Amino acid sequence: MIAYLVRRTVALLLVLLGLVILIFIIARVVPGDPARIALGPLATADQVAEMRSEMGLDDPFLVQLWNYLTGLLQGDLGKSLLSSRPVMDDLVAALPATFELVLATIFLQISLSIPLGVLAAVYRDSWIDNITRIISLIGVVTPGFVLAIILQLLASYYLTFFPVTGRLDPGLEFSATKTGLLTIDSLLAGRGDVFVSACLHLFLPSIALAAAGIGQVMRITRSAMIEIGSRDFIEASRSYGIPEQVVTIRYMLRVASIAPLTILGLEFASLIGNAFIVEFVFSWPGIASYGVRTILQKDLNAVIGVVLVSGIFFVVANLVIDVLLGFIDPRNRIREGSRK
Amino acid sequence: MSSRILEVSGLDLSFTTYGQRTKVLHNLNFHLDAGERVSLIGQSGSGKTVTMRTIIGTLPMPPGKVENGSIQYEGQELLTLSRKQRNRLKGTGISIVLQDPLLSFNPVLTIHRQMDDIVRYADMRNNKTRSRTDRRSHIIDTLKKVQLSDGEHILGSYPMQLSGGMRQRVLIGMSLLNNPRLLIADEPGTALDVTTQQEILNLLNTLVSEEGLTLLLITHNLGVVREMADRVYVMQKGRIVEQGIKDEIFASPKHPYTLELMNSVLPLYGDKVMDVADTHHEENAIEIRGVNKIFSRKIGIFRRKTEINHAVKEVSLDIGRGDIFGIAGESGSGKTTLAKIFLGLHKPSSGEVAIDNQNLDEFHGSTEFRKTVQIVYQNPGSSLNPRRTVADQLKVPLKFTGFSPKHYHSRIEELLDMVELPRSYASMYPHELSGGQKQRVAIARALSCHPKILVLDEPTSALDVLIQNSVINLLHRLRDEFDLTYVFISHDLSLMRNFCNRVAIMFRGEICEQGRTRDIFANPQHPYTRALLSSIPVISVEEERLKPVVSKAERNAVLTTTTELTD
Repeated sequence: MIAYLVRRTVALLLVLLGLVILIFIIARVVPGDPARIALGPLATADQVAEMRSEMGLDDPFLVQLWNYLTGLLQGDLGKSLLSSRPVMDDLVAALPATFELVLATIFLQISLSIPLGVLAAVYRDSWIDNITRIISLIGVVTPGFVLAIILQLLASYYLTFFPVTGRLDPGLEFSATKTGLLTIDSLLAGRGDVFVSACLHLFLPSIALAAAGIGQVMRITRSAMIEIGSRDFIEASRSYGIPEQVVTIRYMLRVASIAPLTILGLEFASLIGNAFIVEFVFSWPGIASYGVRTILQKDLNAVIGVVLVSGIFFVVANLVIDVLLGFIDPRNRIREGSRK
Repeated sequence: MSSRILEVSGLDLSFTTYGQRTKVLHNLNFHLDAGERVSLIGQSGSGKTVTMRTIIGTLPMPPGKVENGSIQYEGQELLTLSRKQRNRLKGTGISIVLQDPLLSFNPVLTIHRQMDDIVRYADMRNNKTRSRTDRRSHIIDTLKKVQLSDGEHILGSYPMQLSGGMRQRVLIGMSLLNNPRLLIADEPGTALDVTTQQEILNLLNTLVSEEGLTLLLITHNLGVVREMADRVYVMQKGRIVEQGIKDEIFASPKHPYTLELMNSVLPLYGDKVMDVADTHHEENAIEIRGVNKIFSRKIGIFRRKTEINHAVKEVSLDIGRGDIFGIAGESGSGKTTLAKIFLGLHKPSSGEVAIDNQNLDEFHGSTEFRKTVQIVYQNPGSSLNPRRTVADQLKVPLKFTGFSPKHYHSRIEELLDMVELPRSYASMYPHELSGGQKQRVAIARALSCHPKILVLDEPTSALDVLIQNSVINLLHRLRDEFDLTYVFISHDLSLMRNFCNRVAIMFRGEICEQGRTRDIFANPQHPYTRALLSSIPVISVEEERLKPVVSKAERNAVLTTTTELTD
């Protein structure tokens, strides 16, 4: 298991290195002079040239890349052209909000889709199955931003206790300093009012973000459960008198959860993309608004930073899923026929 | 007068699917007395398994429905019991051993977890309380009953880490955990190699006498029945067509179906055995000289360490033209690897292979090679493409060997004639054909480009015995007509005895014995061959007498027993 983890971590670092290089190349080949953009249209040619050499843009490409990578290892992502602040600081400021939203989404996806999928499989072809089928269909076919807007409208007119923008009620004085996550920091600080407000603010955006994944994973859980339910070992467990609930949860779900978890890992990729849009709709002060702004302005260092953060999230999340799968299914850990 | 354990009387059962009712069991009557070993015999589809599931109570109802009759366990009517009372009997009164020892385990839980659950929930139902350590020692004691002494190790393992024979033992142990009175075994050991199967059958026999079990054995293998049962019931299409004391039924079967079943079992010894004549060709079709195949794979963090599997060791063989050459061996013996080597699918690590007097290294991959060697696979259900018609599938090899498209049609008709299928079958899809017909199509496909050598990889093991014999006869006829050479790979020695003129026995990658079939079977030299032959269950006393007798010590010298963990 440890050997496996080490191997996976090395592979992860290589993937990230590849990602940085790729983004770095793309950022250099697209047209538009970053120095010109940074200084604005009124700057003279001399000023631009000076800026170019200051930014290192005149160095050979490999030198630029090398400087960037060595800076990266020291936690230096360069300066943002727009805010003139280190990219790292901007990211640290924006990241927790997005991270909190994504965590809430994943929590919703796992805690809703798998139990509902199991219920649909156990009560196959009953009304429960039909209702979950409709929910999952709606979730899968509705794009995240449409759902976000619909939810926002509903909240403005009917469900008025759900706030429609931001992370916290404006009247509340609180700054999340420990983890940056409002829900956790408020609990640590013993501020119940902040916690409730943060949860209410999280609710709608995370539903909008989670819907597609919930629908998909629910259906996959259902079909995996039905498939596993027809296996010999389930018949065997029943014949040995193991109670039905135990058979369902311990004997069936444990094996059946492999497929939905794998899908969930892939789902994370679209989660980040959708988060950009959903954050916009709900004015969520996360990495999305920062990312979109920097891309439009060709703020190279910031773009690379944003891409790198999404890349790290995706790769790490999948590593976590793989480790989880290894824990659930010994076949991923132990080679056939060999002893531990 | 012993007490009655199970009595099934007048049982009618039907299935309803899409509003259509099909009756699957018709007026079933049978019983078991305490300590008896009773066998339910029948081919697939005869209703044996449905009967078993109805008794144990795992048959889903609906779609299943008991229309009439009763099932009594120790005088208690099962069919009217509440669900809770019924569950109480599971594992404690009646227990089962399912057919496939690998599929019967949950792959993601340790053996301990699975066995402990069985004990724990049975205790809960019976209002007993035992500590975790008490349960553990009970489990280890139970494993001792199935001759597994290394209980501690086994309990920490996952099913996939155990060998097939050991899994089967653990499975039997599982069914014994709550001291059931009646054990129902569904095809025990048939998924295993014959030597292991015999160990398992011996174990079951021991358990019946020592633990006071009553055994209901469900099987299609008459050889197994002969070794295991006191009384038999023969089932056909949901009806019991014949019943009686085992010896009487085997000596004089009355019902035509029983007779048919008996006759379809290929004899291993005696005068019914068919000897296959040599064809007196001088030259060799395949020559193998000192072939080795070593598989290696890298393991560890830096993938430096290498794990080595020496699958084929120093094999030399001459397969003469016109021979039906059998390569026999149990799973893992290297027979399939060897076959893949002379099909050009694996490159040997060392050694020379010549096919039709040409070196395989240069020969394989060419059109000429494809025209020389062809293969028929084990399962025609998966080796034929389900979305293409028979004609389309027969065309494929013709296309790749430069056959003129003008003659496709006539060649396809010719091929169907050859395998005795109506010409109209050309436009059918595989799912419209029966298993035997599909295998005929697969044979026709292999023959389509006039090969000289045909590799047959267990060509009949997916078929019912009755159909198996007709395919074998067809293959014999085709060999005579087209002067073919067959390489027949199988673990079924009875079939090999009646089908091949020469055999080689493979054991752990080596050929331990080869020669004319008649000589090898009459006078096996290698201890492994002797152990193998002695393990095959046969159906008559006469054959039993002619089988080699192998002492336990002799047997243990060549076979690793399944009672100990091996690395």
